[in-house]
Amino acid sequence: MVDQGELRQKAKEVISREDVRRLIGWKRGTYGFEAAPAVIKDPSEADELVFDPTCVQNPASFVTLEEKPPLPRGVEPDLRKVGVFAKGCDSRALIQQMVEQAYERDHIVVIGIPCRGVIDHRKAEKLFGDVTPDLVEISGDKVVIEIGGEKREVAREDVLMAKCLRCRYPNPLISDVLVGGEVEKFADDDFSDVDEFEKKSPAEKWEFWEKEFSKCIRCYSCRNVCPMCYCPECVVTRLKPQWTRRSVDLSENTSYHIERSWHLAGRCIECMECERVCPMDIPIMTLNRKLTRDVKELFSYEPGTDVEASPLLTSYNPQDPEEYIM
Amino acid sequence: MADYVFQKEKIEELLGGMAKNYEVHAPLLNAGIVRFGKVEEGGPALAKLDDYSNSSVPPKELLFPQTETLFRYRLGTGGIEPKVPDAGAKVAVFGIRPCDAQAFAIVDKLFGWDYPDPYFQNRRKSTVLIGLACSSPCSTCFCTSLGGGPTNDEYLDVAMYDLGNEIYLKTVTEKGDELCKSISDLLEEASPSHLEACQNQSKEAASKIRRSIDTNGIPEKLPALYDNPFWEQFSDRCLGCGICTYLCPTCHCFDIQDEVEVFDGRRARMWDTCMFEEYTRHASGHNPRPTRKERTRNRVSHKYSYFPTNFGVIACVGCGRCIKYCPVNIDIIDILEKSIAVEVKEAG
Ligand code: SF4
Ligand code: SF4
Ligand code: SF4
Ligand code: SF4
Repeated sequence: MVDQGELRQKAKEVISREDVRRLIGWKRGTYGFEAAPAVIKDPSEADELVFDPTCVQNPASFVTLEEKPPLPRGVEPDLRKVGVFAKGCDSRALIQQMVEQAYERDHIVVIGIPCRGVIDHRKAEKLFGDVTPDLVEISGDKVVIEIGGEKREVAREDVLMAKCLRCRYPNPLISDVLVGGEVEKFADDDFSDVDEFEKKSPAEKWEFWEKEFSKCIRCYSCRNVCPMCYCPECVVTRLKPQWTRRSVDLSENTSYHIERSWHLAGRCIECMECERVCPMDIPIMTLNRKLTRDVKELFSYEPGTDVEASPLLTSYNPQDPEEYIM
Repeated sequence: MADYVFQKEKIEELLGGMAKNYEVHAPLLNAGIVRFGKVEEGGPALAKLDDYSNSSVPPKELLFPQTETLFRYRLGTGGIEPKVPDAGAKVAVFGIRPCDAQAFAIVDKLFGWDYPDPYFQNRRKSTVLIGLACSSPCSTCFCTSLGGGPTNDEYLDVAMYDLGNEIYLKTVTEKGDELCKSISDLLEEASPSHLEACQNQSKEAASKIRRSIDTNGIPEKLPALYDNPFWEQFSDRCLGCGICTYLCPTCHCFDIQDEVEVFDGRRARMWDTCMFEEYTRHASGHNPRPTRKERTRNRVSHKYSYFPTNFGVIACVGCGRCIKYCPVNIDIIDILEKSIAVEVKEAG
């Protein structure tokens, strides 16, 4: 369990720095199994910050989400740094953003936070109902959840996000400040979920996606929350020219999902935020996981693991397989 | 008005009976999501009545679909083919919750305002609402703060109570009476003990509502916060997605687009939302609501200040969907409570 005092102290030190203008972390939510992202601007707010397995959101998303409207004449932009908390997976998003030159390394101050897994609210609600826990912590290979004064221990698989059960990078891959001690890698990723899905015939796959895509209401929450979806104007909502229609039907929805997953090939760092936020429970990760594996197997590329790397699509290796083209 | 009961296991039979005279819409289970739709053979299965508290997408989509053709046109053949729905059709909506029915009465004001909208209004006229009282509200529900309640039948044509093995049914309007008469061979007479069970359920359900907001003074307070940094504590983490508005039963904004093929096309409208950047972007590129701060302010102020100023009623029924589905815990009750607490300096 992370010491909240240490976390707040380190956060306070970062936000007190002259050259830092905001700090992104987590605070208690108003209800349920998820914390709320917190964006603080003043040291006095650091006491709100928390870290525990309810801190699901990826703070890297909020680095690129910040909007910079045109300033009145004579007003200089505030170019000071952004402080950002990062679990292992979150740090991969920060790295990938820098690999793509969304910003420079000295734009951010990273407070790394080793992580042993975060809650999947869908799993938790199925087990415990529509309630707010008093406490959630990971102890050994169990998750302890206290509700209404009663403590219950459950297996990790039963309440943690799928990404955590196959997490190779629980410790932040970059950090300027570290809270708590490093933890051990939980498991290796064998892509058995992708194998399982690939057993379906093309007709079965299409039937599956037809059902899922027709549920989509195109709220674009999956895109907006994605730390890698930060284009100033998304091709899907572009009006001049309009590539994808605004009408919500199976055809346009399919077009949206294919465009988005392809645009994330070699870029998705598997934080699962897209799937978490979807109000229609669309298994978006099933698409991403297939592309992740292809990119890994074909090009030995794993996005968001090396700040010095080049983006997959701008790098060329004469040994790259070319079956697709030839 | 009359009251009846029927055996819960006979729901499908009852809907079949209704389908003889009405087009029946009910909560359906589609790949894990409960959403209202037309009951059809071979279509998605009916959701069990205790499978849902609130459907994921509110039934507003039955009267105001996410994508709707206004008219079609074809080159050469001259003229357009309007797609206005028939006000004389008979549509039954089975299992609508009291809050979602209340939302129709709010949206009525907008669609009947300066331009009476025949698409919405005709559907509304042709629709009979068979409501289902809530027995286990969600942790995010706060309908009792907005003039509603888990067993409120004010906006329904027929009210149903799930009593375990039986469903109790009470007609509220003439439209509802007519519907029940059309299926009277499938209904049994209710007894005083049924009525008593319903009254107990009403009390119990209301006591299960865990959240509330005192709306007094809010419509007046929000405009005073127009330029206040107050909004940033929420908007700093807002994703600017469509969840809280698309899933809100009272949100009613739409965009109109022409979809042109080679020789024909259609003019269609589709849901739009003030949480999207392009919603207020001018052709010049200028955007009067340049950030999520202004957009968050607009969403909350429209519901809790501008709408009541224009139409005399708050455009929220406390269904809690915007709270439940927001991925970053932007909680409208929290915003409203904090808005009351901010001190505003007098101008000048
Ligand atoms: S979050 Fe879900 S419903 Fe919204 S656009 Fe993405 S897939 Fe569609
Ligand atoms: S596509 Fe999904 S999993 Fe991948 S980086 Fe974006 S939000 Fe994370
Ligand atoms: S504002 Fe939120 S609580 Fe109110 S009616 Fe809309 S979705 Fe429901
Ligand atoms: S308040 Fe929540 S649901 Fe609404 S736009 Fe912002 S992130 Fe999306």
